[in-house]
Amino acid sequence: MTPKQLDPRGPRFGAGITSILMILVIYFSLDPQTINLALGIMVFAVVMFTFGSLLGPAKHPYSYLYKYTLRKFLKAPTELEAPRPVHFAQVVGLIVTGTGLVLHLLAVPNALPIAAAAAFVAAFINAVFAYCLGCQMYLGLKRLGVIR
Amino acid sequence: MDNRIALIGVLVSFGLVAGFWWKARTGRAKLVRSGELVDLSKLKATKGGKPVQNFGKVATLVQFSTEVCSICVATARLFRDLEKTTPGLKHIEVDITDRMDLAAHFSIMQTPTTLILDKHGMVKARIGGAPRPNVVTEELKKLEQK
Repeated sequence: MTPKQLDPRGPRFGAGITSILMILVIYFSLDPQTINLALGIMVFAVVMFTFGSLLGPAKHPYSYLYKYTLRKFLKAPTELEAPRPVHFAQVVGLIVTGTGLVLHLLAVPNALPIAAAAAFVAAFINAVFAYCLGCQMYLGLKRLGVIR
Repeated sequence: MDNRIALIGVLVSFGLVAGFWWKARTGRAKLVRSGELVDLSKLKATKGGKPVQNFGKVATLVQFSTEVCSICVATARLFRDLEKTTPGLKHIEVDITDRMDLAAHFSIMQTPTTLILDKHGMVKARIGGAPRPNVVTEELKKLEQK
């Protein structure tokens, strides 16, 4: 069984959205007056990562957004990408942002901006350089026996 | 100025530096000084359904791939073309998805990782990531001069 291959620009597009969301979280979370706005954006990001983790990258909401917007202006992809590492990267994103969200709700100070900063750097590098940090971790974690 | 903007600026710069650092490193050949002699029977590599028993007459490219790696396919295609046009060059692809022993033995953290072996099967260079154009041809020239 070979899962459906992906247009690699789709996940990059999604990572671009995530980078912008994370910048907004950092900005709004550092002002007590707007921290709840930051919380709302973080909840949205966590929900998106949950979709990605459960449904896989091909059925991610951002993937549909990409398909019906940016994709129309681009040529056909020259290479396709295997979905498994990208799917795994979604789980990594969920763990990072989800941990930040939970710690914030447990009143740990600065949990939101710290988690958002980590997620931002990974998403930004993915969007700009097509380097998927979460995907790279796949082989490393597999070697350590953390995942099968 | 708002400290928050400065903080975001720092994070963006960090991302840019990390990204350019990776871009500068990936796909380059790194010389391996005291390389080991690769044991073909341990690799259990097959080529066209048959086990590989000999190294290339000039050099061998051992490409480690996984089934979840997309750039591995393009890399294998590049190496196969090179193999056809370069006399004495042999390309072997090893799928390490279920061979974590090999990943540990050769310290592979990313795929594709390619080892360039000389005619005796000694590791001479190593390429992490999708190879840049001409990197392999240049390494092969070095091997031919020896």
